[in-house]
Amino acid sequence: MDQQLLVDIIVQIIIIGAVASGLMAAFGAMTVVERRVLGKFTMRYGPNRVGPFGTLQIVADGLKMFFKEEVIPSHVDRLVYLMAPGVSLVPALLAAGVVPIAAQPLVLPFEVFGSTITIYPWMADINVGVLYILAVGSLGTYGVVLGGWSSNNKYSLLGGLRTSAQMLSYELPMGVALLSVLLIVGSMRMTDIVNFQASYLGGYLWFIFIQPIAFLIFFICGLAEAGRSPFDLPETENELIAGFATEYGGMKFGLFFAAEYIHMIVLSFITATIFLGGWLGPFSQQIPVLGIVYLLIKVAFVLFLIIWVRVSIPRVRFDKLMKFCWKFLLPLSIANAAVTALVLAILFF
Amino acid sequence: MTEKLIEKLNAKVPSALKDHSEFRGDTTLFINAEHVRDVASFLKDDEDTQYDLLVDIYGTDRLKLGQSSPRFAVNYELYSISKNKFVRLIVDLVDPARNGNGGSGKFGEPLPKVASVTDIWPTANWLERETYDLMGIEFENHPWLQRIMMPDNWVGHPLRKDYPLGGEPVYFEKDRNNPRFAHLGKQIMAGPSFETELPEEMDTDGHMVLNLGPHHPATHGVLRLATELDGEKVVRVTPELGYLHSGFEKTGENKRYEKFIPYCDRMDYVSPMNNNLAYVMAVEKLMDVEIPEHVQYVRVILCELQRIASHMIWLGTHAMDVGGTPHAAPLYCFMMRERILDIFEMVCGARMTTSYFSVGGLRWPLPGAFMDAVRAFLKEFSGYYHDYHVMLTKNPLWLSRLKGIGILKAEEAIALGITGPLLRAAGVPLDLRKVRPYCVYDQLDFEVPTSTEADSYARYTVRMEELQQSMRIIEQAMNQIKPGPYRTADRKVALPPRHEISTSMESLIHHFKLVTEGYRPPEGQVYFIGENPKGWLGFGLISDGTANPYRLRVRGPSFVNLQATNTMARGGFISDLITIIGSIDIVLGEVDR
Repeated sequence: MDQQLLVDIIVQIIIIGAVASGLMAAFGAMTVVERRVLGKFTMRYGPNRVGPFGTLQIVADGLKMFFKEEVIPSHVDRLVYLMAPGVSLVPALLAAGVVPIAAQPLVLPFEVFGSTITIYPWMADINVGVLYILAVGSLGTYGVVLGGWSSNNKYSLLGGLRTSAQMLSYELPMGVALLSVLLIVGSMRMTDIVNFQASYLGGYLWFIFIQPIAFLIFFICGLAEAGRSPFDLPETENELIAGFATEYGGMKFGLFFAAEYIHMIVLSFITATIFLGGWLGPFSQQIPVLGIVYLLIKVAFVLFLIIWVRVSIPRVRFDKLMKFCWKFLLPLSIANAAVTALVLAILFF
Repeated sequence: MTEKLIEKLNAKVPSALKDHSEFRGDTTLFINAEHVRDVASFLKDDEDTQYDLLVDIYGTDRLKLGQSSPRFAVNYELYSISKNKFVRLIVDLVDPARNGNGGSGKFGEPLPKVASVTDIWPTANWLERETYDLMGIEFENHPWLQRIMMPDNWVGHPLRKDYPLGGEPVYFEKDRNNPRFAHLGKQIMAGPSFETELPEEMDTDGHMVLNLGPHHPATHGVLRLATELDGEKVVRVTPELGYLHSGFEKTGENKRYEKFIPYCDRMDYVSPMNNNLAYVMAVEKLMDVEIPEHVQYVRVILCELQRIASHMIWLGTHAMDVGGTPHAAPLYCFMMRERILDIFEMVCGARMTTSYFSVGGLRWPLPGAFMDAVRAFLKEFSGYYHDYHVMLTKNPLWLSRLKGIGILKAEEAIALGITGPLLRAAGVPLDLRKVRPYCVYDQLDFEVPTSTEADSYARYTVRMEELQQSMRIIEQAMNQIKPGPYRTADRKVALPPRHEISTSMESLIHHFKLVTEGYRPPEGQVYFIGENPKGWLGFGLISDGTANPYRLRVRGPSFVNLQATNTMARGGFISDLITIIGSIDIVLGEVDR
């Protein structure tokens, strides 16, 4: 085998590992950040005892999760029950595969074993990136549904049923909302989408300005896909105890928990990339490192938005949620896409 | 009025009325057991009486009363909304067990019987079940006469006077084969709760029966709702109670009058002041004590503060049930409740179990900083009150979760004996503070908020408006209150001041008698109802002239209001059921008592 290819593959594997562990670390950080932010919103302190400003709470929680006794209820379908948390977590991680964090790959100025080392700011820059995100995103539904069904518990069953209906429905408007962006860009490649935003108005033609409706629809559907409040009906602790996760404890619950948060983080990355101009910002063209900072700021903003929504909006009732999707979001997104197509046709005919 | 009623009753149902009496303003009619249904329908339907609200049903065991009348009697407390009148029916039962060994309702022993009035007043359903459970009186033609407080396999009826008191060994699983405990049968450990019978009409094959509770985040305690589900649609809800039953009534009968006050705190533990007030006023009614005006004002101020605190708990938990646990509203509400609890702590040292009111006045005078603290609180609270409105009132999601959910029409509500904000949200402006003012409510200007929508949102708006009215009442009372004695001068009821004891022989005797023996109210029966944040809290007292109440009855508003769950929830979704539980505003300590 060509040595250069081998080195590239090794580097790529290292990047994948780094991204996966980075996401897990971000999940840990996010739990603490969320609790602190929620605390501020609700006039509390949040966890502030372990370590400076409660930052070591991540370690404490992680250790707690790992050392919990593995309880498998006797009435569950063992294989599916054990599989479900993994099935839930992996697609959430996979979706991060096509998210670029900078414009250009970094070529190291020195050679290792006679090969140049190129660090790509993405894991794969495939030409069907958006399609891939949608496809992988819907895989995540399986974990929750399987967990709900295999638990053999009435609350889990209701949670699983709600999940399957909710997530399948919300994928439609989400896809159509992205369609109106894709119509403008003309490519499904994530880097193309960012580069398009970079190429007009000095890099400020972000899609949130051109397609605000698509942005809102995408954000709402993203919340529903990630099972976040006000669309956290699979869990609904006030109705279904913990929904699909009722029978799960210890690290198995931890994986579900991680899946939800990683889903949320990746969603924020995708939102920032597609609608908020990714790494674009003042001087980001000249100093590429700034781009990563800008991207992280945008991601943090979207995450904050998600927490903000959680703390201030009551939960939607299930049937209203479905009605909202099918009778409002879907027609709206289709209309948005149609108007976009019409405008494009007029402009470029 | 009473003469006219008796005349008409004698004409309509001859030979039903045995006797009648008046005591402390309560009218009592003694009825023969065989005519109870005729009298009930007459009282409910006749246009001159219209006793449409059945307030309470409770049994009396006269075993130790030394009367020649039959051992068991059932008391019906009725109220006419349109005429604003109370009446009590006492039905003497023919007692089959009287001639036997008078045992405590062992299995197979015949129970005294009376006809059920469930079809006349649907609220009688649970009240009769409770009477059956605790007093062992069988109601014929009752739709589902099951134990409601005690476990299904319990032996005996605890409120009977010959039921063994205390000294009972505690029975554990390992003692199952111990002959020492053979007499207990399978009383305690045998039956897990899922063996509890479900109503026959529940379709357990075609539908899923989901047990919400007893441990569930949204049932506000240990309430079990056996919910029959068709998909996510609720077909039928059967509440199961008694997990927190602590026998307050039995305890009260074995304590001196004064010593029951701390128990009141623990019934509706989010409004102890109102509980204390209702109990203390019931005893005061029994003893006919004059209360100084200063005390009346203090009681009003504290009770209205407590009403705000109770509504804060309701709003917070309701928002949490509807909006999810991390929602901001609960802690905004608890923050304000915290301020009120701080005031209570300043007043009496306790935050939740205040026991501040005593028969004849207050336990000790108000601290000097009280008025300023309340003023500061009112100022701060009106700001927060605005915040609650901003957060919820016009929030479209909040509206979509509450509007049209859990409709309880006025006639249904009255039939089910619903009181408090639930009834007012159905458009019936029934507030005892207004229609039969106690304390000094008649000197204060406030409105009774009502709504006609009768749904969860109407209950929300009514309670929010009540917060506003409570603030108004407190402000007025603060302006009108004048310094004065903090307890009555009646030395038979309240302790004499310390300085008198060293100078007056008589005061010393009073002090000694009160402390060692307590006071002895005259023989008689009274029923007093207070307007609690959750509805009518009724206390029934039967005195035999000793220092302990012979019979103490508690009518918890939550207990009666909870009965409407099925009416409100059927046909809705599970999410609506949670909303409805929140909007009924129950406290399980009071439901189970």
